[in-house]
Amino acid sequence: MTELIQNVIDGLGRGSIYALLALGVAVIFGVMHLLNFAHGELITVSGYAAYAAFSSGWSWFLVAPLIIVVSIVSALLIERVAFSRVRGASDFTLVLTSFGIHFLVSAVFVMYVGARVKTFSEPGWIADTYSIGPIAVEVFDTVVIAVTIVTLLATVAILQRTMFGLALRAAAEDFDTARLMGVNSDRVIRGAFALSGALAGIAGIFWLMRAGNTAPSAGIDPMLKGVLAALIGGLGSMRGAVLGGLALGVAEVVLRSQLPGEAAALTEGVVFALIALLFIFRPQGLISVAHAERV
Amino acid sequence: MLLETTGLTTRYGSISALRDVSLSVGAGEVVGLIGPNGAGKTTLLGTVAGLLRPAAGTVRFDGADMTGKAPDRMLRAGLALVPEHRRIFVDLTVVENLKIGGITLPPAQRPALLEEMAELFPVLRDKWDTAAGYLSGGEAQQLAIARALMSKPRLLMMDEPSLGLAPVLVDVVFELISTLRDQGCTMLVVEQNANRMLEVADRAYVLRSGALVAAGTGPELLARDGLFDTFVGGTAE
Amino acid sequence: MFPELRRDVAFPVVGTLVLFALLVGGGLLYSALQDGAASDKLVTSMFIDAIMVIGIQIYIGNTGVFSFGHVGFGAIAGYTFALFAIAPAAKATRIAEAPFGLADVSTGPVTATVIAVGVTLVIAVIVGIGLARSGARSGAVAATVITLALLFVAHEVARSWVAVTGGDRAGLTFGIGDTLGSRMPIYLVLLATILVARLFAQSRSGRFAHAAREDDLAARAMGINPTVQQTVALLVSVVVVAVAASLRVYEVGSILPGLFFFNYTLLTLVMLVVGGRNSVSGALLGVAVITAARELARRLGSEGYEAFGVGLDGVPLDWIFREGLPRVVLGLAMVGFMIWRPNGLIDDWELDGWLRNRLRRADPRPTTRLEAAPKTRTELVATDVIVDFGGFRALDGADMVAASDEIVGLIGPNGAGKTTLVNVMTGMVEPSTGKVRLGEKDLTRAPSHEIARAGLVRTFQNLRLFSSLTVRENVEISWLVASRHRPASAVPGIDEIVDAAGLWEHRDRRASELDYGNSRRLELARAAALGPTFLLLDEPTSGMSDEESLEMITQVRHMASVVGAGVLVIDHDLNFITGICDRIYCLDQGAVIASGTPDEVQADAQVRAAYLGSMGPT
Repeated sequence: MTELIQNVIDGLGRGSIYALLALGVAVIFGVMHLLNFAHGELITVSGYAAYAAFSSGWSWFLVAPLIIVVSIVSALLIERVAFSRVRGASDFTLVLTSFGIHFLVSAVFVMYVGARVKTFSEPGWIADTYSIGPIAVEVFDTVVIAVTIVTLLATVAILQRTMFGLALRAAAEDFDTARLMGVNSDRVIRGAFALSGALAGIAGIFWLMRAGNTAPSAGIDPMLKGVLAALIGGLGSMRGAVLGGLALGVAEVVLRSQLPGEAAALTEGVVFALIALLFIFRPQGLISVAHAERV
Repeated sequence: MLLETTGLTTRYGSISALRDVSLSVGAGEVVGLIGPNGAGKTTLLGTVAGLLRPAAGTVRFDGADMTGKAPDRMLRAGLALVPEHRRIFVDLTVVENLKIGGITLPPAQRPALLEEMAELFPVLRDKWDTAAGYLSGGEAQQLAIARALMSKPRLLMMDEPSLGLAPVLVDVVFELISTLRDQGCTMLVVEQNANRMLEVADRAYVLRSGALVAAGTGPELLARDGLFDTFVGGTAE
Repeated sequence: MFPELRRDVAFPVVGTLVLFALLVGGGLLYSALQDGAASDKLVTSMFIDAIMVIGIQIYIGNTGVFSFGHVGFGAIAGYTFALFAIAPAAKATRIAEAPFGLADVSTGPVTATVIAVGVTLVIAVIVGIGLARSGARSGAVAATVITLALLFVAHEVARSWVAVTGGDRAGLTFGIGDTLGSRMPIYLVLLATILVARLFAQSRSGRFAHAAREDDLAARAMGINPTVQQTVALLVSVVVVAVAASLRVYEVGSILPGLFFFNYTLLTLVMLVVGGRNSVSGALLGVAVITAARELARRLGSEGYEAFGVGLDGVPLDWIFREGLPRVVLGLAMVGFMIWRPNGLIDDWELDGWLRNRLRRADPRPTTRLEAAPKTRTELVATDVIVDFGGFRALDGADMVAASDEIVGLIGPNGAGKTTLVNVMTGMVEPSTGKVRLGEKDLTRAPSHEIARAGLVRTFQNLRLFSSLTVRENVEISWLVASRHRPASAVPGIDEIVDAAGLWEHRDRRASELDYGNSRRLELARAAALGPTFLLLDEPTSGMSDEESLEMITQVRHMASVVGAGVLVIDHDLNFITGICDRIYCLDQGAVIASGTPDEVQADAQVRAAYLGSMGPT
């Protein structure tokens, strides 16, 4: 039992990062119907920016905001250069465009920075723990969870209380009618990319802290976690994405510690298989957030 | 004339959904647009609102040529559309739907307008923070109209406001049109319920197979022999 | 299996030979000019990539369902092949502990390939069931996710199940000299693959898959069960992919998890979309173009212009010509093509189709005019049908009877429930209560394709043609269904139907190029080619002028009479309805409010009120 609680707490730390990534994926899917396989590249780019900053002697206090800025700018740039040109295209085209960008970004880094992993120092407190009774809690997880909660609250405030958030939600539900009501479609889509970039930036800070390095292929993992978590939650649903992220994090930690012997190494495979099964039986996602009934 | 179309023709691919339609709406007028399903009424409103591009013809609004302008431009110019099937945002609350309707206005004007809507639509005030998906058909239609009014339009266009409503709710919708008319609101309303529409409209146009086949005041059209035939094409003219 | 031997077998065989000769000839020419082992290797791997890409094309191209996972099938096949084909001595150092005695087995490469195909097919069946369950359709996200999951599960298993796969570092490696020595097997497989791909696309199954790719709902309405066709395409495609993967492992001489993962997925998908995913010729063109582009980029990247003996000293291009260029080129090709040419260089152009058109003499116009077919009397009966959408009752106890020797109209104002009633009859909407039967056969809640095969065939209000197929192919699709499921007497020839519909001159044009009136005629012809007992026409004149509507009366009468079908027609145009119908039902608010002859219904006060609206409470 103690072990399970321990696992769940560890999993929530991990899942919080996934939730932020998934939320970014969900926001973009909502307005553009684009399953963004390039989402992880925001972290690749941020990672190299962080590496460059560390090389010039910056500390994590300065690098953290830098990561967020770089992530937002990259997201807007990708939208401008590529996604704005395939708006409204078929799902096939959209998916392959994002898949192509995913490769292009990593290929550019291989070409200009090299394929080798670039390391930087993790913050000193990353492995510190404190205990509550028999349970050891990482300081890192605590920070992650706290920042995630604050970020989610801020996101909710933006979505619920600003006109931009309102326009974004309206556009995600019915793009054409939103335009008819005077919502500026360019502005909403760019805003959505900025928001997803900011969320990826915050997730990226923790991802990079934990990893302590970056490489051209660094984007694959965060992309997968974000996309899968968004799928678990039911694509396009923002609440679902957050819950999907947490569920994915907890599932990973629990499976890794509970699966017997050799099978534990297969955790990721098991998770993918479970997600495939989930899609076969519930294509709308595990936590399909009930739409208010249409009349 | 507030709105004037001349020779408006719209095609979907190879289909001419609208052929050479010229009509006008004067400030303060309530104009009906009636005709059977598939006559091109929705296409006409969509073309005027900027959702569809005309293949030929012009749309003039308040004297300015607005042909082919994007919907948000038309809205800013003062032309709002209540779309067919209402298309309210079901995941948003009632008040959020209204705020979206007023998105083009300076924020300072919104509270007063929301207050106005609350007065005009008491049923909505009671459900201010309910997700719009939980509204009944009649309430949803009122919300769709209120949402369009939030942009303070100089011309309100409605597409089949009584569609799919129970008879008693149809009464509510037509009462609402009368109320708006009495407040001086200029309207162009597409309706299948011709009799009811002609009662509240100053004038009406009859559209069939994409072309105008008759025009006149309500009494003129109603008095005319064979409105039914004109309407559904029982006898070719 | 093949509708027309000349078109669907003879020409594809010729086309296959030409495509094969072009690709192999080009490859051999290149390696002859370049001499050196490196260029041999490049050409060999291009041939293997070609097999793999065509394998993927068989699925994606024919069904339009997007799969990320075919390289995942490749991983499964590749490991299976390696486990069985590698000699025990070579395995002993890496996976001596492998379960099931896998460390000691050794079959020849041919047997190993067969086993690899078998194992991969088993997985494909499971994935296929999953895809069918999730309702995979052209363009549906669910299919992307399931196939992507396959790719990752295969990859993770390969990485983690070290005892069998050798894991991330060791992998499985052939002993020195044990790898593929001659290109002959590759040539044979490549030739066979191109042929299979072309024949499949021309077969009944392939044609049905194309119909579902163009319009899933219309395909169902024409009696096609898309799930069956998609599954067949998947299995055929997986066999090819498994053989390609075995060859690739055999040629490379080792397998690591990375061999069949993201990089290879990208490479094969770029090859597929650059040429054109909808054709075999396109897939091969893409393979050639991308192989050339990649090699060019590699050489420019590593040697600059000097690779080609051109010295451009002083032109600073080091920032482009450097290591890593090929990957950037692939990424750019993918993004660029998606933005500017998502259907590839040649879209669905096919070499053998082009040859056939060049060599064709004028088709003989059918000489026999179709005669009226004898009508039998079968009743189509809907009883007390109720349909609720959420809280809205679209049909409220509708009753209707139509006989196959009459033309019955269904009128009523917008929202009255006319289309919903047709949807219920054709299995596209499930009624809450009520029954639908055709003759003695109960069709309530039957799947759409079975209803169509039983003889109840519909058209759609907003045209649903198979838009990239030609006029004749559109008609042929339903004719192919009819030839298997309808009594022979009810099914006239394809050309006769096309001619009877007045579409003879347009028979080779794509449906998407037709003007509106002809599109409507084609929809009617396609439905009639199914030899139905009943034609259900949903607004056949909507969007037509008065003259066109009147002409449509003759058209509908003629088509119905040559196939001996009854007609149930929804329309708003009273000229048309009264001109064509023997009887009319008027629907309002989901129930029948009047029925009778056109004159009776037109005079009915309730009908007038329904159309013009009630008078207000004055």
